[in-house]
Amino acid sequence: MPTDNRRIQGPEVSTPYCLFRCSTENQGKIRSSSPDFPPVRKDGRALLEHRKIYVKTGVVSQAKGSAYIELNNTKVICSVFDPREIPNRVEYSQHGELYCVLKFAPFSCAMRRAHQQDSEEKELSLNLKRALEPAVCRHEFPNFQVDIYVLILESDGGTLAASITCAGLALADAHVPMYDLVTAASLGVVRGVLVKDPTEEEEKVCREELEGINQNHGLITVSLMGAHTQITQMWQTGSMTTTCVSESLTHLIQSCEEIYPIAQRCLVKSVVDTISKKKISEQ
Amino acid sequence: MAAQYKTIHPAKYYRDFLAHDLRPDGRAPDKTRTVTVNVNSISTADGSATVRIGNTTVICGVKAELGKPKADEPECGFMVPNVELPPLCSPLFRPGPPSEEAQAMTCFVSKATSEMVDLKELCVSVDNLAWVLHIDMICLDYDGCVQDACLIALSAALRTVKLPKVEYDAETKAPSVFLEERTDLSIKSSPVSTSFAVFDDEIILSDPTGEEESLSSAKLSVVTDGEVIFSVHKPGGSTLSETQLQDCMSIAKDRANLVNELITVALSPVDR
Amino acid sequence: MAGVLLSEAEKTFILHGVQNDLRNDGRSKQDYRPIELEMDIVTHANGSARVRLANTDILVGVKTEIDVPKSDQPNQGKIEFFVDCSANATPEFEGKGGEDLATEISNFLRSSFASPLSFDLKTLCILKGVQCWILYVDILILECGGNLFDAVSLAVKAALHNTMVPNVETVAMDGGNVDLQLSGDPYDCWRLDITNIPCLVTLTKIGEHLIVDPTAEEEECSMASLVLAVTENGRINSICKTSVGSLHPQTLSDALKVGAEVGVGLNKALKEALAREEKRLQADKPERFGFLK
Repeated sequence: MPTDNRRIQGPEVSTPYCLFRCSTENQGKIRSSSPDFPPVRKDGRALLEHRKIYVKTGVVSQAKGSAYIELNNTKVICSVFDPREIPNRVEYSQHGELYCVLKFAPFSCAMRRAHQQDSEEKELSLNLKRALEPAVCRHEFPNFQVDIYVLILESDGGTLAASITCAGLALADAHVPMYDLVTAASLGVVRGVLVKDPTEEEEKVCREELEGINQNHGLITVSLMGAHTQITQMWQTGSMTTTCVSESLTHLIQSCEEIYPIAQRCLVKSVVDTISKKKISEQ
Repeated sequence: MAAQYKTIHPAKYYRDFLAHDLRPDGRAPDKTRTVTVNVNSISTADGSATVRIGNTTVICGVKAELGKPKADEPECGFMVPNVELPPLCSPLFRPGPPSEEAQAMTCFVSKATSEMVDLKELCVSVDNLAWVLHIDMICLDYDGCVQDACLIALSAALRTVKLPKVEYDAETKAPSVFLEERTDLSIKSSPVSTSFAVFDDEIILSDPTGEEESLSSAKLSVVTDGEVIFSVHKPGGSTLSETQLQDCMSIAKDRANLVNELITVALSPVDR
Repeated sequence: MAGVLLSEAEKTFILHGVQNDLRNDGRSKQDYRPIELEMDIVTHANGSARVRLANTDILVGVKTEIDVPKSDQPNQGKIEFFVDCSANATPEFEGKGGEDLATEISNFLRSSFASPLSFDLKTLCILKGVQCWILYVDILILECGGNLFDAVSLAVKAALHNTMVPNVETVAMDGGNVDLQLSGDPYDCWRLDITNIPCLVTLTKIGEHLIVDPTAEEEECSMASLVLAVTENGRINSICKTSVGSLHPQTLSDALKVGAEVGVGLNKALKEALAREEKRLQADKPERFGFLK
């Protein structure tokens, strides 16, 4: 491993203590206690109940636009900056570009994250970019790029969905011309049961849990432009039948449509606040 | 009108304000901004705190891991502080390896906190196993005095760390961790840093904003712990008289007491 | 993907062709171009395959090595995908141009292999928590003529089919060290189970219609395309939208149906082709017509 002389170095190898926990404890709690996925989840939600959402715009004073989203324990912050010329580009590009960087904070997951961007973060960044691109009027700023930086402060499932919603709001807050707001939601499938907005623990079950062959399992994230009913990104993993995917899709679109007014209200509030502040300062 | 004037002649704009002993944000030159501290905001971290000084926001998370001690210090654990200035917090930064500023800040914080925890207490088994505390401070909003906020965040976050009990079996070389039995870290000192900016070589601004920092001719940071001066850091720039320095120190002392009280208050409510 | 410049008139021509279900090269909307497949062409790899789909040329080599399992999944082996976009493939790949595309392809392959139903990593475990097999799947894009995803997945599946993993004779723990004895006979190997490995199907929306296997010109005319990972029995392992542009939910449901159908067909065709190629390889002196002889 190359040494990083720009940071203070710890020991070469250090392991999270959770791996050494005493075997007296029941490690696979969900696995043993639930032969069927329980109708009431650990946090008391029904299977098709979304977590409560808190959104706020204008959280970073130095950025052109910013937003913060909280889904219980999933916390994401995003800021968007003024368009700047695309660096190191010779050709002229007709459309403006979105430059998305998504990063997990080192302490955001159960396992410590490295400082450099890893392949999962790159994958999520790309998905985020794909989800936002259709909503932005990119012809309005040819040869320029808008920088979008997303930081996951704490990850507890639905990270991509939260990031998309958050970045969509931040873009709107930065007055980037857009066709529509983008909202996103996630859904898990385990043994054919659909679970809306799964937490990290539930996501893990959806990824790995298998009882018998040919059971549907997996995760889907969908982002939607609410006013135009256009799906901007869909990302599925796992293994499921087409009927299962279609069914999940209906639920996900419904969730996205539920989040849409929340995002709208948040933006309206920030506009009203700015206007009233301006009035006060003029007086 | 004021906005245009400010963009064209930022220094003049400030001079006009300071002629009336006021700053554009309404503070007197020696006044500091309000500080808010929020602890245990991140459940995936072993200890965490969010600190705001005015607009400046820093979040600090501590992740504890187990590792082998260094050969030359077999009975010591590790504290690995790291200040991150991500591109998210200000248009001044770009993604990639830490900027020089972030490296300097990491250095500053690591020196100021070197006495906070006795590294020997972080040792589980001599020469075999010790705690490694990865302390990551991430700036979310860069509006001046980020190093002050980092230090407060670190100080508050360390106080929320509860390490589980670990036993090391010398024969099988396997540690076993008891997650239920947790103990606090013992914190030896509580350093608080207060920064100042020198404007036009003579006026001292306490707790400057990002804008004031960029216009200043010199910067000064005073780290105090109660009545004791821990360190005074003045990296170049215009000169200061002795009385001015004395003034800064007394402001820093008062503020340090306030901040430490604030941390105690933030920590006092029973675990949520 | 590939830098093709088309005028508005040319685009309209392609669009009208798709509307009439007769594309430029005479195909209907859901037809593939002819595909060539060869296996076992790289001697130093444990498994290899080359797929040529019209102008798209892909070479895949699989290497098996011994590694330590991840601490959180002690009883699983590993599989890693590396995509290399050769600068010869298209001028756009020069320098760092192909990097984004390479990440996109390898990420998508990883997520379509993620389900234990399609590829069980447990079979790659040698000794729980200590030793496992790691498969390095190296994908080399030699020429880019549209529809990379599909071609890559076919080549990967074929290469994995061709992969020979050496049998382990004995495993013994000697203190903290592992004593592994591999079989001395180079033909004493086992094959991977590729039945449930998905093939990728790219559906490109041109006008109001969905087409499969787009040429580079057709890709240029479309705003949105969707990649599905479909297994032999029509299950979907992964979905991702890969281009700018968005889709109506109805289009998406249609795409799912079409994609599953096409995917099942594609898997079947590949299976037959693999069986044929296998026979040919077992014949005394296989005739090779690839570039790597």
